[in-house]
Amino acid sequence: MSLEYDKKDCFIVDGKLALPYTYFAGRVGSKFITTIRDQKKIMGVKCNTCGKVFVPPRQTCERCLEDIRNNWVDVGNTGEVVNFTVVRYNDGHLPRKAPYVLALVKLDGADTPFAHVLDGLKPEEVEIGMKVEAVFANETTSTILDIDHFAPSRKKKVQVSDRAPAEKAPAAAKTKHQPELDERRKAMSKKVVITAALTGAATMKTQNPAVPYTPQEFAEEAYKCYKAGAAMVHMHAREDTGMATHEHARIKATHDAIKDRCPELIVNLSSAVGMGKTPEQRISQIVHIKPEMASLNTNTMNFSIVDRKTGKIFIDFVFENTFTMLQDFGKAMEENGVKPEIEVYDMGGLDNTLLVMKQGFFTDPMNFNFVWGVAGGQAFRPDAFLCLKNAIPAGANFTTCGVGTDQFQAITMSCLVGGHMRVGLEDNIRIPTGEMAKGSYEQVEWAVRIAECQGREPATPDEAREIMGLKKR
Amino acid sequence: MGKRVAICAVAQIKNEGDLWYARFQNMLKECFESIMGQTGVTFDMEKGIRNVITCSDDVFDARTISDNGMTDVVGAHFRGEEKMAQESINGLGYAMACILSGHDDVILYMGHCKESQTESRRMNMNLAFDPFYCRPLGMDFINVNAMQARAYMKKSGVRDEHLAKVVLRSRANAKKNPFARENAAVSEKDVLNSPMLADPIRELHYYPVTDWAYGMLLCCEERVKEFTDNPVWISGYGSSIDSYFLGDRDLLSNFSLKNAAERAYKMAGVKDPKKEIGVFELCDHSAYQMPMWAEGLGIADEGAGGKWIDGGGMEKFNVNTSGGMLNGNPLLLGGAARAIECFHQLSAEAGERQVKGVKKALAHGTYGAAGQHQAVVIMEKGR
Repeated sequence: MSLEYDKKDCFIVDGKLALPYTYFAGRVGSKFITTIRDQKKIMGVKCNTCGKVFVPPRQTCERCLEDIRNNWVDVGNTGEVVNFTVVRYNDGHLPRKAPYVLALVKLDGADTPFAHVLDGLKPEEVEIGMKVEAVFANETTSTILDIDHFAPSRKKKVQVSDRAPAEKAPAAAKTKHQPELDERRKAMSKKVVITAALTGAATMKTQNPAVPYTPQEFAEEAYKCYKAGAAMVHMHAREDTGMATHEHARIKATHDAIKDRCPELIVNLSSAVGMGKTPEQRISQIVHIKPEMASLNTNTMNFSIVDRKTGKIFIDFVFENTFTMLQDFGKAMEENGVKPEIEVYDMGGLDNTLLVMKQGFFTDPMNFNFVWGVAGGQAFRPDAFLCLKNAIPAGANFTTCGVGTDQFQAITMSCLVGGHMRVGLEDNIRIPTGEMAKGSYEQVEWAVRIAECQGREPATPDEAREIMGLKKR
Repeated sequence: MGKRVAICAVAQIKNEGDLWYARFQNMLKECFESIMGQTGVTFDMEKGIRNVITCSDDVFDARTISDNGMTDVVGAHFRGEEKMAQESINGLGYAMACILSGHDDVILYMGHCKESQTESRRMNMNLAFDPFYCRPLGMDFINVNAMQARAYMKKSGVRDEHLAKVVLRSRANAKKNPFARENAAVSEKDVLNSPMLADPIRELHYYPVTDWAYGMLLCCEERVKEFTDNPVWISGYGSSIDSYFLGDRDLLSNFSLKNAAERAYKMAGVKDPKKEIGVFELCDHSAYQMPMWAEGLGIADEGAGGKWIDGGGMEKFNVNTSGGMLNGNPLLLGGAARAIECFHQLSAEAGERQVKGVKKALAHGTYGAAGQHQAVVIMEKGR
């Protein structure tokens, strides 16, 4: 029977099942994947009863029912193509753009062929029986894609490769140096990333009524900044009273309110939070919320509230950022996909960073923020700026912010020498005329004008992501 | 065993490419009312339907426990209701077990699937693979079947021209089937020039996205007269599943199909399927599977699928008079569609497609990548 139903006024509801999961790979699976990741080595397990070597490995031989979980054997990284297809369609579950080759590869030391992507040759060049070897991913995802693909054998040492793009799969932006990426970055050099630091921990509504406290106020202010040309907002969450808070729920509510109002914007959280917070309080909220970016402070320093005219100290405070915190916070951020914005208050802080970066946990490109005018840090001087710029690693990005009147001087300098700009009520409550800023957005408008004078354009959030190496949303 | 299980009635809606204007509950209700009308069965707790089996898929329905969306439509409230979340042909095996065990006399068996609901059924198929080793590589049934196709075509001398023949014949047979999906007419050249999906499988070599629903009433031998004068009997069922990982399997061995067929033949007392069975309905998700499954069932010689097609094997053995899965049935439901065609053939109600003098028919179902799971049902003419 045909369904001869009326089709008038029939309504279709859109739906989507997108359920992020974590799967435990099992003890056997965990060892298999971590060995690939850490040692660039493929292991299988052998059944001593039937002699079969399984890749991927299992706990039990399905034929002999022997427990084989500890019978690890090195099966080698080379093998032979025993079957393949060329995937000619694009789809959301595919790791590559079409056409790509999916092959069954029998590794030299294994008995079970193993499916993987075959690359490094044209689809029409693939032949059954050809010798291939594993090419390991430069960047780990701790999945089977830590073998990026198999390629025709070249009898070199271990081959490594950067991730090839998929049609819809998330692009991996955290890559080590590669020429084509540098070229793209060059083309982006006209773009300037403008950040609005909506509040710090200290600026209050009594100083400028536009300072946001509630999530809704943050969201509105962020939206105005985005409209004015900002690609990123930096924030310290506040309670309704204006007190800086380390409460996860409040920080998350504020972060989410901004993302809901303005999904495109990059939100950069503070790992300083406010005075008197413990290291645990400072980093746990970042790990919990996993913003795209967060500040990472590089040295222990005085961070005081002073009267600039009289030189009197009102609140004397030591902002603690030990080497251990620099290292632990940095690792926690990178492990959770949060790109650190490395806060440099003076040359010593930069040197601290250059020291710990030898441990290798920072992903490229590194992003620095030169901070001027903190009572306890250094005041803005153009030659000091150039010293910092010249001392950061090749390929790293830099932006800058300055407290009070240092703000617009510093960002003008940064824009002039190829860096980016941060404004906002966290650092300064006024505009260059000396009038009270109507909000951070008004300072963004000034920053856009500075960029225009120098023939540069504000970067969109996605362009900023590309420049700073953030994962695509 | 001595006891037999009867299919008393079948009902189906027409296979369609996009039934966007019908909820699956509507689709099932059409079938349900037809079954009730044909058989006069009731939901009396003593004598009526006390157990309902349904077949559906959570991922295609995009809801957990997909059967909870239609328990009211199929009358399952206050009764047993069991879901077959696998190839629908296993629902027949399960109904058979319920009846032969003496647990139930009467089983209502219904199924639905709207492949059109999902943006990409390939993404659904990707979820059939494990999340560690296979999913990240983009494996789905089409690209994995393609690897089996490559190996099989080499082994059995099956060429692109043979696959074109399979597609043309499927479309021609479907034209005579009022419930078949209406597909555009294609020429041999169209098939040979159809774009590659995953080499060597072309777009026209793969069954199209389809929506469909069906119903059946099954009962024990003793009570069949209450519901029909013209039953069809299920006399054999066999099911088998091969290893999960592709590399653990011999993709050319037809391991699980041979196993399933052997069990079904034995149960039904079939000694020579070539002589005894008059109609074969095969679940050919892709054209290469037609000769490959024919080899597995023993109606084509091992490694000679190409010659079997050249020699008119598909006509000789009356394979896929319905048009087959290749013409379009949703995933999971191919086996039920095959059994329904066998029912019509054995009841001499197959119209233009009718094969004369059929006494036994074989319905086949397969699910998973590269025919991992296989099941076979043998059906016999009533008396």
